Amino acid sequence: MWNFFPRDFVCIYREMFKRKRECKKLKGMLSPYIDEQLSPSEVKRVERHIEECAVCRRELESLRAVVSLLHRVPMVALPRSFTIAARAPRRRPVALGALRVATAVAVLLLAFVFTSDALHLFEAGRVEDRSTLQGYTATSTPAGGETFEAPDASDVQPETIDASESTWPVRSVELALIGVVVVLGGTTVILWQKRRRGEGLKRP
Amino acid sequence: MSDRICKMEENKLIERSKQGDLDCFNQLVEMYQRQVYNLCLRMLGNTHDAEDVTQGAFISAYKGIGRFKEGNFRAWLFRIAANACRDQLRLLRRRPASSLDALPLDLELEDRRAPSPEEYAINQELGEHIRHALAGLPADQRMAVILRDIMELDYEEIAQATASSIGTVKSRISRGRARLRAHLKQYVELFP
Repeated sequence: MWNFFPRDFVCIYREMFKRKRECKKLKGMLSPYIDEQLSPSEVKRVERHIEECAVCRRELESLRAVVSLLHRVPMVALPRSFTIAARAPRRRPVALGALRVATAVAVLLLAFVFTSDALHLFEAGRVEDRSTLQGYTATSTPAGGETFEAPDASDVQPETIDASESTWPVRSVELALIGVVVVLGGTTVILWQKRRRGEGLKRP
Repeated sequence: MSDRICKMEENKLIERSKQGDLDCFNQLVEMYQRQVYNLCLRMLGNTHDAEDVTQGAFISAYKGIGRFKEGNFRAWLFRIAANACRDQLRLLRRRPASSLDALPLDLELEDRRAPSPEEYAINQELGEHIRHALAGLPADQRMAVILRDIMELDYEEIAQATASSIGTVKSRISRGRARLRAHLKQYVELFP
């Protein structure tokens, strides 16, 4: 009796362990078994196991029920057609090209005005003109020509430069040019993005 | 026989589409738009995103049809749609407000008679549960289960559409169905 009991216990335990391992292996095969994706030998193995194992049999049945539920999910009707419409004739690129050129010209002009303003070019011209007018007096020569006489040192007053007195309305020109650049640049960017978005094909 | 004629017709349309014939490509669109739209709808869960992604997928397919060599056109098309869905899902994850909530999922009744109010209510409830169960699956498993059990593609086509091996497809379908079974346990008993 002492010899029989442990051996029997080991056999039962071994059998249980074997079946459990087989169940675990076969669980992954139940789904392909439903879809007939197993080889003939695998099919035989699954069928043999299902006959013996009630747990796996129940699992197979419930899997089948899930699959049949999913098969009953209907195909939804189309909300609209997804055919692709031919591209409309291109007109925008011409306008876009002209806008790009205009923007570039405006930017260059703005850069020129800014640089000139920064280097006081407009004011330098004005000072030179004023000093010519104020510091020198023209006199007629008998030969009919004109000569310039140097003024007395006391006559020449030190010149102070006031930007607001400039003959060119530089600030206004700069502001106007900035406005033009912003409007032209913005329009160009919007048109360019629209063109990129609709590139190639137009949705119906 | 008719399948072979359809296949020949399809091959002709593909060849002409490759040469830039939009009318021929649109015939292909008409052949597959319902399936592609349904795939996108089941993957994304709302009609608005599904429409956008479907349209985008067809436009991508038209632009890239030159790269389609030989093989299963439907699987190729589904692959483009699947990739587009994956991208869209990534976007949706970033803005979780638009979730998988608006998916209509009424089930087909087996017999075609008008359903009783009770059947209709159960059907609605079950549809709702299937929708939630599908939405709860990881994207790869959901794609595999939808392609197999709703679109009824074979494993080979699913492997092509998802750019994976047959073994991976088997495993994804198996795990996906197991999860669905856990979600739908009580309803499985109601609908044997």
